[in-house]
Amino acid sequence: MTRFLVLSCLALGACGPEPPLREGDAERGRLLLRQYGCVSCHRIHGVAGKPGDVGPPLDGIARRVYLAGVLPNTPENMARWIRNPQEYEPRTVMPDMQVGEDQARDMVAYLYTLK
Amino acid sequence: MKTLITLAALTATAVAAGLVTVYAGLYDISATDQHLAPTYWILDMGMRKSVKRRAAGITVPPLRDAQVASRGEAHFREHCVQCHGAPGVSPAPFALGMTPVPANLAYTAREWKPAELFWVIKYGIKMTGMPAWEFRLADDEIWAIAAFLEELPRIPPRRYLAMTAPEHRPEGPVPDQTPPDAERGRTAIGQYACATCHRIPGIVGPNAEVGPPLEGIAGRSMLAGVLPNSPRNMARWIREPQTVNPGNGMPDLGVTERDARDIAAYLATLK
Repeated sequence: MTRFLVLSCLALGACGPEPPLREGDAERGRLLLRQYGCVSCHRIHGVAGKPGDVGPPLDGIARRVYLAGVLPNTPENMARWIRNPQEYEPRTVMPDMQVGEDQARDMVAYLYTLK
Repeated sequence: MKTLITLAALTATAVAAGLVTVYAGLYDISATDQHLAPTYWILDMGMRKSVKRRAAGITVPPLRDAQVASRGEAHFREHCVQCHGAPGVSPAPFALGMTPVPANLAYTAREWKPAELFWVIKYGIKMTGMPAWEFRLADDEIWAIAAFLEELPRIPPRRYLAMTAPEHRPEGPVPDQTPPDAERGRTAIGQYACATCHRIPGIVGPNAEVGPPLEGIAGRSMLAGVLPNSPRNMARWIREPQTVNPGNGMPDLGVTERDARDIAAYLATLK
């Protein structure tokens, strides 16, 4: 039941104060975005690789209001989305890449430099 | 001396050209004709700078109060949604035909400070259709709206939609077999307020980042992450995003079949 409550809380996006996230390492995040193959589906400024066009380009993602059209764009939500996209949009083609919490945080730190 | 005479002659010619343009009615005043990019830039920049300057001295009361925001929400639903829409909710048909098209407020709220929002709501903006609410609402009511707007980008579209009654969706005209017309599609994009949420090459607008930018959309494999990109699926997505993917931020805008096909045809040119 607690688990259900926590999940529904997450699904609603904002649910009271949350523990602040450790500051991510943007430079490490940039490397991870390549290592997890993110560039094979998204164009990401500053991340080398054959640019993919499956999902939307991520330039300006820091200014975007929604993630995948369903989640308000905050650093916390972006990390959640990267780690477990199906939880928020069951039909999305974005795969669960088994990204760890620290790794997601680093990716978010880099993506939030893309204004 | 010679330089001065040349300068005066040039100025006189420019003024004369301007007067001829105005008096002969050469300027296209129609709302379907989008602004030239430099015109838009100068109007938009002038508006932002003017608001910033005038809002600078305003003292902001405490806004982080759920009750204040909830009072603001009531006003928002009553006075703002008709023109600006809301997460997953389309503006009313008349608003889609406006130039400039009313901004998406989830984006505005991220870009503007509360004092600036207050100023714009209170005093309005000339020649844009944004009315002044000074003589209709009290200051604390306007602050409540500003407080709710601050919350707006953090509300998931699904949750906002759950609090709203289902939208009435107007029926389009009888399906016709006119071949898709990309140029007409470009005009239609302006008339359905697409640029209030998406950056779209060829469309002059606020370059908003509510949804993804549409540069290169012709080459993208998936739409909204759930629908394979084809002209047919694009037209379907444009017409009924809330049926294809309920609860997402893109509203059903009452796009007719022909308009959706034309818009898809224009988007297919964005490689």
